[in-house]
Amino acid sequence: MMTASIKPKPMTAPKTLDDLVERDREHDCEGVGSQRICVRVAAVADLPSRFGDFKIVAFWNNRDGKEHTAIVHGDVIGAEDVPVRMHSECLTGDVMGSLRCDCRDQLELALRRIGELERGVVFYLRQEGRGIGLVNKIRAYALQDRGLDTVEANHALGFRDDERDYAIAAHMIRSLGLRSVRLMTNNPDKVAQLERYGVPITGRIPHLLPPNQHNRFYLETKANRSGHYIDFSGKPHLDEQSDRVLVEGMTVGED
Amino acid sequence: MRAEEHADVLVLGAGIAGLSCASALTRAGRRVLVLEKARGVGGRAATRRLDGQPVDHGVAFIHTEDPELLAHLEAAAAAHGPDELIDWPLRVEGAGQPCLPRAFAGRERRLALRGGLTVLAKHLSAGLPLRLGQRAEGLRPGQIDCDNGLFHAPDLVITAPLPQALELLRGLPAQPELHSALELLRAATVHPCITVIATYPADRPAPAWDVCYPEGGPLALIAHDSRKRAAPRCHALVLQASPRWSREHLEGDPARWSADLLAAAAPYLPHELGAPQGLQAHRWRYARLDGASQLAEPLLIDLGGGQRLGLAGEAFAWSGGVEAAFHSGRRLAQRLLVGPHKRDL
Repeated sequence: MMTASIKPKPMTAPKTLDDLVERDREHDCEGVGSQRICVRVAAVADLPSRFGDFKIVAFWNNRDGKEHTAIVHGDVIGAEDVPVRMHSECLTGDVMGSLRCDCRDQLELALRRIGELERGVVFYLRQEGRGIGLVNKIRAYALQDRGLDTVEANHALGFRDDERDYAIAAHMIRSLGLRSVRLMTNNPDKVAQLERYGVPITGRIPHLLPPNQHNRFYLETKANRSGHYIDFSGKPHLDEQSDRVLVEGMTVGED
Repeated sequence: MRAEEHADVLVLGAGIAGLSCASALTRAGRRVLVLEKARGVGGRAATRRLDGQPVDHGVAFIHTEDPELLAHLEAAAAAHGPDELIDWPLRVEGAGQPCLPRAFAGRERRLALRGGLTVLAKHLSAGLPLRLGQRAEGLRPGQIDCDNGLFHAPDLVITAPLPQALELLRGLPAQPELHSALELLRAATVHPCITVIATYPADRPAPAWDVCYPEGGPLALIAHDSRKRAAPRCHALVLQASPRWSREHLEGDPARWSADLLAAAAPYLPHELGAPQGLQAHRWRYARLDGASQLAEPLLIDLGGGQRLGLAGEAFAWSGGVEAAFHSGRRLAQRLLVGPHKRDL
């Protein structure tokens, strides 16, 4: 599905992320997937953070107004086996520190681990709650509050993997010049999806959260009938990152 | 005597969602019956004829970037006549908001059909067993009870406007999946739209725009409908009232609607246009889905005993409008064909 024309036009091989902005200035390829998604590296800057030294890369895409980003550590252009984490924006978790999901723990773990490694990238996809939008996510929470957490309602609200997510991610990986990646995920299907869009994946790194006071319930309880864990406040946790939450020491029951 | 019929799937509603679902199921070999309370197909993608001239008095135009829907539009157009599918509107006036802001996004195509938007519905419904004039009055698992017939099938697909769908689903036996689905639907808002069609003699000066979005006031949109036609015999304007105005005046006098809406339109029309020669009003009780009510996917609920209930329509896909209706119908057909829904993870 990935077409050869996505590869950057031959010019002086880009050495730095800043070169990618120049390279992509007029980039306009056939796109990835049935929706022909094309992205450009639009801006790059340093992003020193509490998790290490990073650069932040802002992407433009031709499908929607969503401004996806990559948080890059180390030299990744032309690199092999680059550890990569895909994270879907979660306003409530990432920013507000919500305890209804594990997004912030998952994001921090990814940034911390990649910050400690030689190189790696966290792709921060601006599709709130796996693309369902903030309104629908809060509606899903409202249903949970009333004990109405069902598979079908969540499906209708959009809790599912979208082809678009993978197509965009695949193009962003290619745009950054990663030759191959090791995907940090607990969801083998993610590996398969990205491979479908032509991303060479050389391994999967389990994304195991260290236990803390907020996720201890994963170690102490079993998933409910619909496969969700119920936290201390009685709220079921949805897999908002399309990535099964795994806490170190957790026994994984049948699903 | 009332008819009684059996099928694999009953599709309630011959709008774009219902026809999209039914045509996909039929192509896959399912025996489908489409039940529609009106005497024609298309639902809100509706066309009337005034002195033989088509006037779209529901959806003003279709916007899409979807190759599958575009292919259907092209096929529908090709069967109807040359140059049938046109890019429309090209000239847009007014500082008001389009009903769906996405309609004017860069990659969208905005389209109309010279013969009226029902050309699409007629194309989609070709070869489908339609039962027109069948108003659903009751629904049970595996059965839809209409005023003129009783219909049976293991799978039921409801594409009626959400408030009507809710009314029908009320009597189903309680179960968690259905309960949460109904909660979702209850939270949705569908706005009414009072619509007035005004026609003028063709020799008068007409506005130079195709569509006008007035800012504020009682009007949401004025469509210069006759600009869609190859050789219009008259100028036809379709005046769509705003959700708020429509709600306030829904039970009012249709004669007043015309006067008020024409007065609101006057600043946007050449004054030489004068008084209309013809006026018609239409009350769309369920016209516009509120943007905040949009869901992502159709619903498919297992009612037990091998019986399922599907819901599709504009509310059940991201994009909004005709495209959303078309998509939700297709998606629901796919899911009905692959069997019970499995969790994604």
